[in-house]
Amino acid sequence: MTAFLELQDLTKSFYGIAAVKGVSLNIKTGQTLGLIGQNGAGKSTLMNLIGGVVHPDSGEMRLTEKLYAPRTPADAQRAGIAFIHQELNLFTNLTIAENIFITGFPRKGVLGSIDTAKIKSLTRDLLASVGLQLDPSTNVDRISPGERQLVEIAKALYQDASLIIFDEPTTSLTARETERLFAIMNQLRQQGKGLVYISHILGDVKKLADEIAIMRDGELVAYEPASAFSIQRMIAQMVGRSIEQLYPPRTAAPTNMPLLAVEGVNAAGIVKEISFTLHKGEVLGLFGLMGSGRTELARMIFGIDAFERGNIRVEGESITSPSPRKSIRHKIAFVTENRREEGLLMSIDIANNISLVSLLDFAGGLISVIDQREMTAAAQQTAQVLQLKSGDIRYQHAKALSGGNQQKVVIAKWLLSEPMIFIMDEPTRGIDVGAKYEIYTIIDRLASEGSGVLIISSELDELIGLCDRILVMSRGEIYGEFSREQFQEETILRAAFRQDDTAIPHNHDGVREEAGKQD
Amino acid sequence: MTTLDQRQRAKTTSSDSSVKRFAQSFLLSDYFVLYLTLIFFVTAAVFFPTLGTPGNISNQLQNMWPLLAIAISQTFVLILGGIDLSVGSTMGFTSVVGAIVMAQTLDPSFFDRSPLWGTIFMRPEGGIMAGSEWATLVGILVMLALGTLIGFLNGFAITRFNLAPFMVTLVSSTFFAGFALWLTQSRNISGLPEAFLTLGKGDIISIYLGPKLTSDIARRDILPFITYPFVISVGLAIAAQFLLSRTVFGRRMFSIGTNRRASEISGIPSRSVITRVYMLSGFCAAVASVMYSARLGIGQPSLGGGNLLLDIIGAAVIGGTSLFGGKGSVRGTFFGVAFFVLLLNILNAMRLSPFVIDAVKGVIILLAALIDITRTRLINREQRS
Amino acid sequence: MPGERFNILRFLLNHSTLVLFIAVFALFGLSSPRTPVEIAGITIDFPRFWSPENIFNMVKQAAVFAGIIGVGMTFVLLTAGIDLSVGSNMYLSVVVSGLLMRSIGLEIIPALLVSLMVGTLFGAFNAFCILRLKIIPFMTTLATLVIGRGLGTFLTDSQQIDFPERMNAFGQTLVFGVIPMPIVVFGIVVLVSWYILSRTPFGRQVYAVGNDIEAAKKAGINTDRTLAMVYIISGFCAGLAGFILASQLGGRVDRSFAETREFDAIAAAVLGGTSLFGGAGNVFGTVIGAILIQMVGTGLQFNLVNLYLQPMARAFVIFLAIFFDSLREANMKKLKRRFIRPVEADAPPEPQPSSAGD
Repeated sequence: MTAFLELQDLTKSFYGIAAVKGVSLNIKTGQTLGLIGQNGAGKSTLMNLIGGVVHPDSGEMRLTEKLYAPRTPADAQRAGIAFIHQELNLFTNLTIAENIFITGFPRKGVLGSIDTAKIKSLTRDLLASVGLQLDPSTNVDRISPGERQLVEIAKALYQDASLIIFDEPTTSLTARETERLFAIMNQLRQQGKGLVYISHILGDVKKLADEIAIMRDGELVAYEPASAFSIQRMIAQMVGRSIEQLYPPRTAAPTNMPLLAVEGVNAAGIVKEISFTLHKGEVLGLFGLMGSGRTELARMIFGIDAFERGNIRVEGESITSPSPRKSIRHKIAFVTENRREEGLLMSIDIANNISLVSLLDFAGGLISVIDQREMTAAAQQTAQVLQLKSGDIRYQHAKALSGGNQQKVVIAKWLLSEPMIFIMDEPTRGIDVGAKYEIYTIIDRLASEGSGVLIISSELDELIGLCDRILVMSRGEIYGEFSREQFQEETILRAAFRQDDTAIPHNHDGVREEAGKQD
Repeated sequence: MTTLDQRQRAKTTSSDSSVKRFAQSFLLSDYFVLYLTLIFFVTAAVFFPTLGTPGNISNQLQNMWPLLAIAISQTFVLILGGIDLSVGSTMGFTSVVGAIVMAQTLDPSFFDRSPLWGTIFMRPEGGIMAGSEWATLVGILVMLALGTLIGFLNGFAITRFNLAPFMVTLVSSTFFAGFALWLTQSRNISGLPEAFLTLGKGDIISIYLGPKLTSDIARRDILPFITYPFVISVGLAIAAQFLLSRTVFGRRMFSIGTNRRASEISGIPSRSVITRVYMLSGFCAAVASVMYSARLGIGQPSLGGGNLLLDIIGAAVIGGTSLFGGKGSVRGTFFGVAFFVLLLNILNAMRLSPFVIDAVKGVIILLAALIDITRTRLINREQRS
Repeated sequence: MPGERFNILRFLLNHSTLVLFIAVFALFGLSSPRTPVEIAGITIDFPRFWSPENIFNMVKQAAVFAGIIGVGMTFVLLTAGIDLSVGSNMYLSVVVSGLLMRSIGLEIIPALLVSLMVGTLFGAFNAFCILRLKIIPFMTTLATLVIGRGLGTFLTDSQQIDFPERMNAFGQTLVFGVIPMPIVVFGIVVLVSWYILSRTPFGRQVYAVGNDIEAAKKAGINTDRTLAMVYIISGFCAGLAGFILASQLGGRVDRSFAETREFDAIAAAVLGGTSLFGGAGNVFGTVIGAILIQMVGTGLQFNLVNLYLQPMARAFVIFLAIFFDSLREANMKKLKRRFIRPVEADAPPEPQPSSAGD
């Protein structure tokens, strides 16, 4: 059990915010390292450093004692490091065998054609080693996500990886597929491979890992053999004391007048039986781990994606086949989680970005001529309210702003349309503390004016500081609900990990297990 | 390729010399193309004195107007991030249908095999409006309506069926070009009403330069200055610019061309906007068709054929319209068209064969694309500071 | 997808072109004029459309008009690119080889090699502009479309080229005394291309790049090289097609030679199931597409349909092709969605038999 990959004091910052701070780890051959932490704790950045996707600001890595500094993912691959991501990188128009051998086909004959028989038999062996009995000539688009994941592992094995990193591998797997995965992981351990397992399913991590490392706010807060951890301790250390964040006092209490009612929303494979109500003057938080379905749900409520069964009601009025335009007409606003792709027009000036939803409000006449001055003035005013720091909003492009200011532009855009319901998906992601406070103030003000705010966030303290109620989503379902009196970080977090005492634990199929089968 | 080398070398000079900064501001200026055109003109006039004569200038200006109308249509579509390959055949088709409506007399030996022959649409006495004083007006209205309809069909197929604009407009281009040839058996339709012809050749204001020797001034010495096509085109340009910069519709166009997803999430009815833009494109093509047909005095099924498309895209790209969408202006297109007309003028004066001229145009377009890429990069860098 | 039921509509959609092909073949055959023919002692009125001569003719024309360049275009489309310059490429290649044939008396085979070389260089120039200068394929090939034709016209001083008589003889060659040479060349091109696309690493990487270029880069594929090669291959096919086509036209090439053929090539490929979005398609489909287009034209002629209606019919057929392509693509997107729960767990609850005592 020698140290295979050593990380020494790695640090990496993005735009001045440290994503990974002074992390030192050893990944040993024949062992599994479990890596856990909340969203934004730094796990992905750490993996990206190992994988050559980004480069460290300071610190170094050593692979079997030698300096390891990959410039590209290809370097990492060559060094024997393989990733099994949640986002699979298979080509859906090729067969399993072709996917595995895409950059290293064995050739035969004078024309150098692909030795089909050989890749088929090699693939069969590889698939067998991961417990799959598929025909190597099957097209990838015909196999299930679980099977695709195993193919990725087979690919990693073919590339003779010595270190395999699993990033949230079980989210779309059935129980049986998960068991198979674990069996294979065990096999790989015994073959002397080093494994890293990142997951939110703490029970699994505890079962699989030899050592567990816990990250919080970019730092390594615990790193000990798995036996030293109980689920309680894991959660407690993930929560810890975070950066001092001030939250403005709430100026008004929520009412119990229903504003937005979500009734029985279902979409197979994505969300199941979602029902909740947002009231006037309420700030409702939606918490959950990454991949729990919150964004998908928000998009369905707003009408960007379709759902199969269920109903959306605004002030009692049902919205049939929701669409963004209908939602906007019903005074719903949606700040998406990826402002660059879906929230902003990057190469267009700030003023036009801010006025995008409300264009018609500033126009008149038969052909909707815009009163430019009125529009710019309104945009300017909103920008000022949000304390937007930018150049002249008429000329500066959204692209040139910092993340925090970009987010303010998005919020300004929706504010200008004077909505009653504000859905915000990770509104303070990538924003500095000062700007965050300003956004919290705005949220409070919206609520006190009678609007309802549904805020999706992965930062639990933020939700605790802002919200009147918090819903917890897990694997596409509403798993728990907490009112202000019940706000307690550990409890809520445990719910998100499906480790709470109150709810009966579910297994991977969402089928309730018998009570008492807990760690 | 030498210009590319020179530019590369200029980039590698270490500090931001004042020359480099001037060059950058020159490149980025909104009037870049205008300056280029003027410089070109002055330089070329030295080598080809005929270029500078009033007669030539007047002639070239008259060439500009129809081209401007159709370049505007393409500008609209490009800003949206699409493309309209059918403008040429829309021109031909509307030209033909308009002529059929307006014709005062039709030669049986030409058209007796046309599918419409013998019906009220095509008789030896002319088309459906033969003999009527409303012929010209109705004809023009029919042409405009038809162009808009073709645009609607394009837009509908693109938005409803999610088809690539390139393929859809290619198909409609083939279809309507064929349709026009079928209706006319590839003959040109003449015998159009006088009123229509004045639209093409009539002046509102003309100029005579030179000594007034006798009271009779030769017709060819009178230079058309403000003609009907001039008024129509410039009017169209002003309206188009207004639409783009001052209306909600224009903002929505730029928005969709920049990022369709973000626009839809912000409530922009992208389908309706896209369809209407293609309708406008068809409309402008019809306007251009009116001008060309009036000027030629015939309904011509092959109108708009050949490499017209290349000219239009070239003019638009030179004028700063991006092929990726989200960027463009009528003013830029105006200068682009001016540049192109001048370029053609020079190349013709050099007595090169038409295909060689096309080749040069092709090179210019490659350069225009390169300049566009360079400008985008410079703008990005400037914005970041 | 596992457990998917056989859906007749989906089957038709995925094989839409083949269905269309059979339909058109049958339709035109039945409606075309017939000649009495003796088969096994019985005289039947056999549709001329289905006669071997006509079939040979259609395949031959399909080969030179859209087929060979269609195969080259397939490579490009598989990577989600486009090559608008193949028509002009055909012209330029033929011009150069023709001029050499006339001036230094080059023989057929060397002239063919010259044509191939020019075509390949043309394609390489496209690749250069696209990959090094980073000008998008549409713009690049649109520009080289006019540059190529202009260059060709310049070289011939706008005159038409008359090839020596041996060109015509070459064009009329019958392999094994029966099969027209263009069909044989077409067959070889198709087979070689099929081989490259399905049996060589390069071919499989072309599909990978078209499916997901980012994943391809991550997997370590040299995507620049793959992309460059497809444009070079397209150029090569243009050089070949141009020469063969010239030999069919009695060795006479004027400056409108192969004009607008690029669109036929694209149509043939798209009809044959090659998606404009990349990653899907095969050369056999392109063959069917090319022959289908030719069939529509020939069929209309047989039915004495007005010459002018043919482009309209062709446009309609192509429209059907892209329409189906779009439906296929929409279907594909649904299959590529990301799930966060196992799908089986969300099946709507089965109606339970009511228990006793209700």
